[in-house]
Amino acid sequence: MSGAADRWPGLRRAFRLPRSRRRLRDAVDEELRFHLEERVEELMARGMERAQAEREARARFGDVEEYRAQTRAIDERILREDRRMELLDALGRELRQAVRTLGRSRGFTALAALTLALGVGATTAIYTVLDAVVLRPLPYAEADRLVALSSPVPGVTPDAEWGISQAGYFHFRDSVRSFESLGAYSRGRLAMTGEGQAELVEAGIVTASLFDVLRLRPALGRLFTAADDQPGVAPVGVLAHEYWTQRFGADPAAVGRTVLVDPFGAVQVVGVMQPGAKLPDQPVDLWLPRQLDPAAPPQNSHMVFHGVVARLRPGATLPAAQAELARVTTAFPRRFPTAYSESFLRETGFTTKAVSLRDEVVGGTATVLWILLAAVGLVFAIACANVANLFLVRAEGRRREIAVRRALGAGRSHLALHFLAESLLLALAAAAVALALAQAGLRLLVAAAPAGLPRLAEVQLGWRGAAVAVLCAVAAALAFGLVPLVRAARGVDVSTLREGGRGLSASRGRHAVRGAFVVAQVALALVLLAAAGLMAESYRRLRAVRPGFDAAGVLAVGISLPRARYDSYEKVAAFHRDLAARLRALPRVRAVGAGNVVPLAGYDGCSIVFVEGRPVAPGREPPCIGTHFVAPGYFAALGMRVRGAAPGWAETQGAAAGVVVTQALARRLWPGEDPIGRGIKCCQDGPPYYRVAGVAEDVRGSGLDKPPTEAVFFPVVPLKGTMLWSPQRSMSVLVRTSLSDPTAVAPAVRRVLAEMDPSVPLGSAEPMSRVVAKSMARTSFTMLLLGVAAAMALVLSAVGIYGVISYVVGQRRGEIGIRIALGAPIAQVKRLVVLQSVRLAVAGVALGLAAALASTRVLASLLFEVSPTDPRVLALVALALVALAALASYVPARRASRVDPAEALRSE
Amino acid sequence: MPMQPPDLDLLRGTLDLLILRTLSWGPMHGLAVLRWIEQATGERLQIEEGALYPALHRMEQRGWLEAEWGYTDKNRRAKYYRLTRAGRAQLAAELSKWSRYTEAVGLLLAAEGGA
Repeated sequence: MSGAADRWPGLRRAFRLPRSRRRLRDAVDEELRFHLEERVEELMARGMERAQAEREARARFGDVEEYRAQTRAIDERILREDRRMELLDALGRELRQAVRTLGRSRGFTALAALTLALGVGATTAIYTVLDAVVLRPLPYAEADRLVALSSPVPGVTPDAEWGISQAGYFHFRDSVRSFESLGAYSRGRLAMTGEGQAELVEAGIVTASLFDVLRLRPALGRLFTAADDQPGVAPVGVLAHEYWTQRFGADPAAVGRTVLVDPFGAVQVVGVMQPGAKLPDQPVDLWLPRQLDPAAPPQNSHMVFHGVVARLRPGATLPAAQAELARVTTAFPRRFPTAYSESFLRETGFTTKAVSLRDEVVGGTATVLWILLAAVGLVFAIACANVANLFLVRAEGRRREIAVRRALGAGRSHLALHFLAESLLLALAAAAVALALAQAGLRLLVAAAPAGLPRLAEVQLGWRGAAVAVLCAVAAALAFGLVPLVRAARGVDVSTLREGGRGLSASRGRHAVRGAFVVAQVALALVLLAAAGLMAESYRRLRAVRPGFDAAGVLAVGISLPRARYDSYEKVAAFHRDLAARLRALPRVRAVGAGNVVPLAGYDGCSIVFVEGRPVAPGREPPCIGTHFVAPGYFAALGMRVRGAAPGWAETQGAAAGVVVTQALARRLWPGEDPIGRGIKCCQDGPPYYRVAGVAEDVRGSGLDKPPTEAVFFPVVPLKGTMLWSPQRSMSVLVRTSLSDPTAVAPAVRRVLAEMDPSVPLGSAEPMSRVVAKSMARTSFTMLLLGVAAAMALVLSAVGIYGVISYVVGQRRGEIGIRIALGAPIAQVKRLVVLQSVRLAVAGVALGLAAALASTRVLASLLFEVSPTDPRVLALVALALVALAALASYVPARRASRVDPAEALRSE
Repeated sequence: MPMQPPDLDLLRGTLDLLILRTLSWGPMHGLAVLRWIEQATGERLQIEEGALYPALHRMEQRGWLEAEWGYTDKNRRAKYYRLTRAGRAQLAAELSKWSRYTEAVGLLLAAEGGA
């Protein structure tokens, strides 16, 4: 019991043998044994026999084993607690130490933290989008039991999928046992008049059963039921919670009110939907009943619904449902002989399939996002390689410190704690910066994302994103923190303890490690660069495609005429004629036209078309072709070239209506013949036929990367005696201007509309150039993000190469000094350094090319007219990286060439 | 010495006080603590000896005692306990608690006798 130990209990602990469970047990045993033996001796000294004394001692002691166990348990608790305290103590001490060391080398700290933050931030941002869009389930209860139905028709077009017909909907509802419930929906932008100005609302026109399928509940009032969802019943509506809040100020009295919705008429609001409820692919302002008529004659018409969704019965599996659907579909010709023939099924390959609703909604975006996540993952790996190199260099500089610590008896776990504290601190700082970066990046991402990206509004940096950031950073920190330790584990390196003990040969192994990092970096960067290059090339080619019209200066204005006022073809036509004349009179307006669709937005879909003199052979199907409706001026306003003549207003009065067909359709229907004057009509065969008056140039209506559209453009007023479609009240008015930004005429257009009829709501005004851009959005979005990732990879690789080459030059100062002293020309010294960098880059490029050849295939579905292994792109990025390596080593090379031989040799 | 049933039951918690008080005279090993208690109480207070050790180790855990291995007069290794600063504070607190307690009990008993 020395005085020193008394005053400084910590000191004693430091020199005590490390405690272990075994030692503690032995100590308890010894303590108890001492007690019993001493007692026995004491009793024997008082005259007892040994045996008696032992009995007596034990009797006094009580249950020895019980007390032994109790005592041991207490000791073990103490041990555990002490160990925890010691660890916390040490950690605290090392953290304080780490703050000091990191603070001393600010340049290193900032560079490492920033590099890491860049990688982690990018990964976090993309992960967050992926999580919100792809990984998170749809906002419905038990969403994994939901499936979407569609009908593939491989005989028509390999990838084509039709919707479900009304007859099919009822048939599946009644006969597919795997489905618990089945619902269908359509969407529409409808004009609603509550009080005051009419406005367009996004309507979900759904079967009442859809609410069961999606498990939606009312927040107020009720949802409509099967009883409301009957043909002929006065329509009722349900307001979306968001719309109710925003438009009705969350007034409970809105329930029970009547609104006018075109074409439904007076709709009584019976309830408010639960917040956040929407259709699988889009938000809804107003829910209306679809009111299907089960008694309607079956029709082979597949454009009735936007979607049909089913909920699987508990226990039913998707493959089972799939098989059942296919089987039930083969019964169509027997169930609906007037609508579906056996030959139709045979020739088109018509069947019905179910896919999980999530896959249906997320679709192709998942591929894009996974590719982007892989890309930022590569950036993260490159950043890690850089930081690992920084740590290596630093560990190099601290070899003496490590050796001293080891020589003084610091254990391996102690050293590990030391380095971990440092790298953890760095990583946490990096994670904090990364979160800020990710937040900013997300905002840009959401702004740049294509419109088709579902659920984008839900993207938010939440705790999951934060967790990913922290996890990435900590994982990286653990890896780097242990790099110097691997070295230290080799034992005490006596030579490093000696001042200046820095052998030239000893560093060879370490150079190899650093070189390997650079090679890996360059390889990863090459893969990214190749991917970005391929996307850029696709984008370039896509932009070079002539869409079949001239989008510059054209504004597309969506208008919707109220049904009550415009109940005939003539009234609709008269409105458009008047509107066109008034708009034409506006300054800087060159041409005006209108059509029910514009190219690249709504050119999909088809109707059966008959050709004069080409009766459909028995058992064959007439061709299904896009049918659109246009008012005069449509082609001129779009800048679509037409051979022959597009019908003008004079011809649109129902006398001898001519139609325009696209070049692609003319090639298909009348190959090698002149289509002008041929007869064609929709939906039903027999005269009178429309006459082909003009042939429009090839137009890519469904996508620049798709083949030219086959379509017929009918006049808005049908030919007398042809099957009637209802008047086209929703039209896009196309205004061609001489302005670079055609949105500037939008106010004038609105004024003209208001003058003509204030009850006509103006839906949207969008430049056609934006419609074109939107159609390329997926390509440009992917290109943009891969480009950003590649740029980050380039910068990080350049920094990495620069760092390593600089370090090597520093290490080789002596050698370079000798070379210069021996008369080596400066240029040769520079070349020596640059070549070293280029050699590493070439190795990296070779490795990267192999990786790129193996991996860019995943991009194939996103590329346009570019092979995933396009040799030009690969060669270009390979060259770029080698050039970058040369460039990055130039500064160190110059430094090498300025080495003063005398000074260098002195310091050696 | 024949074992007799203890004429005083050791109150729970009192053992801690006894140990603290005993060790306040200086470092001792477990058996010595027992001997001291026996002598000081004239063997009126008998403890089941084994109970001492869990108590000693628990008090060590609480930081009232410190332990160290040393050697007895007969040159045998034994574990010695000593009071720490915290132990002394604890002893003071326990003592005042004890005297308040006995005082209260004494008052109560006196009051009963007077009635």
